[in-house]
Amino acid sequence: MSEGRIDFKSLVKRVDADKTGDFISYDPEKCDGCGLCAVICPFKLWSVKEGKARLAPRYQELCLECASCWEICEREAIDFSYPRGGTGVVIEYG
Amino acid sequence: MEKWDVVIVGAGPGGSYAAKTAAEAGLRTVFFERGRKPGEKNSSGCGLGQRWWRDFPEVMEAVTRMPSYRKVEMVVINMVDEDLRLRFRCGTNGSDLCAGRFPNRKGMEGASVYRMDLDPYLAELAVKAGAELRTSTLVTDVIMENGQVKGVRTERGEPVYAEVVIAADGAMSTMARRSGMRNRWGGGCTNVLQLDYACDEEMMDDVIGDAEWCWFGGAVGYQVNFRSSFHISVGGGWLDRDLKGYRRHDDLKSLIDVPAFQAMCRAVKARPREFQAHLLPWLKRPVKSYTGGMMLVGDAAGFPCPLEAEGVWHACYSGKIAAETAAWAISRGDVSENALSEYEKRWKASFLGKEHEFGEEFVDIWEGAIMNREKALEQLQLMLEFTMLQPFSIVFDWADAHMDCFNHHLRHFLELAPQFSDFGRTYLAPLARGVWPSNVKRILLMLKPRIPVLRNLSDRNYFRVMARLFRQLAPFLDPTAEQDAPLPRGSLEKRGGERR
Ligand SMILES: Cc1cc2nc3c(=O)[nH]c(=O)nc-3n(C[C@H](O)[C@H](O)[C@H](O)COP(=O)(O)OP(=O)(O)OC[C@H]3O[C@@H](n4cnc5c(N)ncnc54)[C@H](O)[C@@H]3O)c2cc1C
Repeated sequence: MSEGRIDFKSLVKRVDADKTGDFISYDPEKCDGCGLCAVICPFKLWSVKEGKARLAPRYQELCLECASCWEICEREAIDFSYPRGGTGVVIEYG
Repeated sequence: MEKWDVVIVGAGPGGSYAAKTAAEAGLRTVFFERGRKPGEKNSSGCGLGQRWWRDFPEVMEAVTRMPSYRKVEMVVINMVDEDLRLRFRCGTNGSDLCAGRFPNRKGMEGASVYRMDLDPYLAELAVKAGAELRTSTLVTDVIMENGQVKGVRTERGEPVYAEVVIAADGAMSTMARRSGMRNRWGGGCTNVLQLDYACDEEMMDDVIGDAEWCWFGGAVGYQVNFRSSFHISVGGGWLDRDLKGYRRHDDLKSLIDVPAFQAMCRAVKARPREFQAHLLPWLKRPVKSYTGGMMLVGDAAGFPCPLEAEGVWHACYSGKIAAETAAWAISRGDVSENALSEYEKRWKASFLGKEHEFGEEFVDIWEGAIMNREKALEQLQLMLEFTMLQPFSIVFDWADAHMDCFNHHLRHFLELAPQFSDFGRTYLAPLARGVWPSNVKRILLMLKPRIPVLRNLSDRNYFRVMARLFRQLAPFLDPTAEQDAPLPRGSLEKRGGERR
């Protein structure tokens, strides 16, 4: 039961992950490279390269839709909407 | 052009209860949900407290029949040390006073259900009352005219007009943002990770019982137990720049590594099943909850309880008040910002407003004393020392020369006093404002017979003298103060200022 054996990514269900559309946008002009988005994202979809945040290109397949990256970004460089209605993460036991 | 009396964004508990209330008031009501069905986007756990029996008894009756339902009669607290060893376990058992506080002696009975059970049920109540539900529909914008909200726009670009919009779209609230009411929370919001386990139902009954479990200290987690499963939520770190007390993903991992947690998992045959993450506003005080043509309810307004972030009741309760206010405003033909300020007046005067009177103090306790790992470990030590002084300790630890053992503990306890008083000063003293004047008087009257000279005074004169001698007591002893209610914020600070 040790954590090493839990694969968190495999415990997320989705519908039509290819039809969500783009729902996170990001303005590099505003980013100061503080890296809080990378700290907060449960699946580490953000990283900092050369002083700027970078979002994993296929984030739609992994994002948990929690919007923590939007909330943490003081510079308001990250805008978060949600996937198209009826697509994305499905929580059966929430 | 599509036009409704009320458009509601979100079919979570807040949206659905608002839709039900609005439809019952005869308003033409539509509510939108981005999920394919209500509940499938929501992660929370849904421990429903005892006050549900007072405010929503019919919902509670239905909850007890839901597939995931487990009764909650106590909370079991498990505290682990820095090496993740279980050191302290206790339960909140409650007394007869608790049971009697709500109708039908339900004061010690809560419930846990999944959102996939609760949310569709609440939405169905609204639909039955005549509201129209549109699922798989993301609302992306508000329609504004001269600073007044006039409707919303869906992802397909369709405008949907309304007399009043109720934003029940959760913590991130697209409606609050797009209308310019606020942007990010900028501090008061937390994020929570949640891991769900499928378990053996019989073993859940035997090992867990009708209880919720909490894990504090070296690892933190809130364990909500269902009929044949449980989930643990971890995090609740406040999302601000210094990430005060922020406990990351690693914290979920430390809980999973706690041997006592693993033992419990083995006993109930737990198998990890689903992983979720969700924002949860945990604010010292809610934000402004209305603008022209629109009201915010539930998480969108930051209503979750400042003591322990319960929020489903708050969503339903505020949803109900918002819909009632909408009916009132529409009937008067005035849905301006000024008219809708009535909403904030109403919720502030209700149980919901009372909930936030001590928001600052409650959030401070959690942030400083529980979510902060170092402080939490200090609490653990204090609690352990404290329990060694109580009479049950005779059974084990005072087993040698009894009075010597007791005195060892007493000495050690007194040595730790500065740590205690530090905690008391920082976190408990600010709550003293909340002690009812009637109870302050009760305490003073217990002391009276022991004080020479003063014991001969009439009660009235005795209180007068005490108010002079101890200036901090004066506001409590002011004859015009309301007796069974906390003193208003500011009344104590003012006095303190005078003295300095
Ligand atoms: C991990 C966790 C554990 C919790 N545990 C408890 C607990 O035990 N007890 C308790 O009482 N509270 C708990 N809470 C708090 C509780 O979940 C919330 O306070 C409550 O869900 C708020 O209800 P709401 O209706 O305001 O918002 P939500 O429940 O968030 O509902 C908002 C709804 O709107 C939909 N939506 C959002 N944006 C749009 C849009 N643009 N267009 C269309 N639809 C949209 C969403 O899909 C969702 O269904 C917990 C929270 C978390 C995160």
